[in-house]
Amino acid sequence: MIERLPSGVFADPFELDHLLHHGAYAAIGVFGDTNLELPSVSSNRSAVEIHMNFKHNTSSGAMSELGIRIDLPLHARYAPLHESGYSEVAFGTPDLLVSCSMEGSSEKRSCLIVPSSDSNRLRTDVVVWKIPCGIMSYTNVVSVVTFATALVSTLVIVLPSVLYSKPR
Amino acid sequence: MTARAMMNLRSILIGSAVFRLVLILYGEWQDAHMEVRYTDVDYLVFSDAASLMASGSSPYKRTTYRYSPLLAFLLIPNSFLHRAWGKFIFSASDLLVGYFIYKILKQRKVAEDLCLYSVMVWLLNPFTFTIGTRGNCEPIVCAMILWILICLLNGQIIQAAVWYGLVVHFRIYPIIYALPIIVVLDPRYVQLGKKPLLVNWKSNTQKPSSQSSEEASTRYNLWTAAKSMFSKERILFGLVSGGTFFLCTGLFFHLYKWEFLHEALLYHLTRADPRHNFSIYFYHIYLQYGHQLSLVEKLISFLPQSIVQLVLVSSFAQDLPFCFFLQTVAFVAFNKVITAQYFVWFFCLLPLILPWSDMKLRWEGLSCVGLWMGAQLHWLLWGYLLEFRGQNVFLQLWMASLVFLLANAAVMAVFIRRQRCSPIFLQMKVTDAKGGVKSE
Repeated sequence: MIERLPSGVFADPFELDHLLHHGAYAAIGVFGDTNLELPSVSSNRSAVEIHMNFKHNTSSGAMSELGIRIDLPLHARYAPLHESGYSEVAFGTPDLLVSCSMEGSSEKRSCLIVPSSDSNRLRTDVVVWKIPCGIMSYTNVVSVVTFATALVSTLVIVLPSVLYSKPR
Repeated sequence: MTARAMMNLRSILIGSAVFRLVLILYGEWQDAHMEVRYTDVDYLVFSDAASLMASGSSPYKRTTYRYSPLLAFLLIPNSFLHRAWGKFIFSASDLLVGYFIYKILKQRKVAEDLCLYSVMVWLLNPFTFTIGTRGNCEPIVCAMILWILICLLNGQIIQAAVWYGLVVHFRIYPIIYALPIIVVLDPRYVQLGKKPLLVNWKSNTQKPSSQSSEEASTRYNLWTAAKSMFSKERILFGLVSGGTFFLCTGLFFHLYKWEFLHEALLYHLTRADPRHNFSIYFYHIYLQYGHQLSLVEKLISFLPQSIVQLVLVSSFAQDLPFCFFLQTVAFVAFNKVITAQYFVWFFCLLPLILPWSDMKLRWEGLSCVGLWMGAQLHWLLWGYLLEFRGQNVFLQLWMASLVFLLANAAVMAVFIRRQRCSPIFLQMKVTDAKGGVKSE
């Protein structure tokens, strides 16, 4: 599976490596911008490629569906400021590549590629992640109150220091 | 040191060592069996950097490694001995800090039971035993700072200077101690080749001893210090510590070039992280991110820290451990970025000042602890809602950081009010030509 992450979302390659060692995936790789610290405005997009192995028992001969669930931990970058207080990030459909083989007859293989543009074959809703973000209209108030608090704290420390610094 | 005292100190140290060993082993188990690690993310960064160094590469190829190459060098055995080697080193440093606390207090003639309680304040502090066992390197810095204090108490100026240059290379923040150290290296109290005279501890119930008339004459201020600034002790300390720092910087620049300079030094000096942390400045930085701050704005953010540091040094330099403690609390509280690991920087100094505090545990001491922890927990609650519940609580989180700064300032004010400030050094007596004794 190739998950192309939208701008503002990233996967931590070290975290995924840890999960890989726990057997969560057969293989995993992150491509693109893997910087863990920069906010969204200073970052580029990335993609994650996940390899998983599944067994499906069809010995009964009846048609059956195979349900596969892949969990991928993601993190939000600090989003650009917005008056609503939330930045919406929409996920596209991942690209899936399935390789099958029948037990006992390795010659019979079939591949199915599911293109992301063929949405009729897919029953997926658009996934939107609402990421909290700062509100620009608070900028002046936050700056003034921050520095006022710093000043008050300075006085709370400086005054006793001057008054009580003599050895007793 | 009496046999009984050794036994008590020994049993505290052994008990603490066993407990840390258990935590390290538990941490290894949790890392292997649970998705949430016990080990700090930073430890994995150190280990990766150490493996890169072991294979001949630069440790800075590991993203987010922003420490001295010395740290990666110390952890090279992680690659071929055991991955927990570094945790053992850090926990051993943490035990060493406990021993140094005892040594410093004993040298100043603090009563035995108070010495042991002070040691326990460090060794039994949950911040302390988790930080080393989770793989954080701060205990090494704490041990170096306390060793510098021991060297100064023994008049070993050159050794103190070498370790000071090394610790500033390792972690930068100890640069704030430069001024009080220079102030305290007054030639009236500290002379090359002579062991300085220390002011002994006395409890708040004891009557003033004969030392007190000499204590009164030891009061000095920055003006007095400025007049005798260029004594040979001070010049020597400055030259040796500066030389050590530039030697280390020069050596690693030669090995690792601009990557070392940027990641290990410049990053820390220019760091302005918009991501939420305990600092009051995080939201201001986030809202202004990408905009060029005016000169006035840059000055305003720099001023509170500078003013507080200068006033603390001017008021308390003579009581060096107390000055270090207050400076460190203030430095952390007013910094642009605050993470929990920074608290250890002043936790290691707290036991050194407690014997001189008139603060009783009930209820003044417990109120200070409650206020500081309460403000922190309050911030963590909003932090949890933001990080794990995705709620927009930036404003509340920022207000919680304002409360945390005010709580730090209030606790500092209580400490200052209740401390029996005591200079560490006595004025030295000098023998005159006729064999009599006079004070300088």
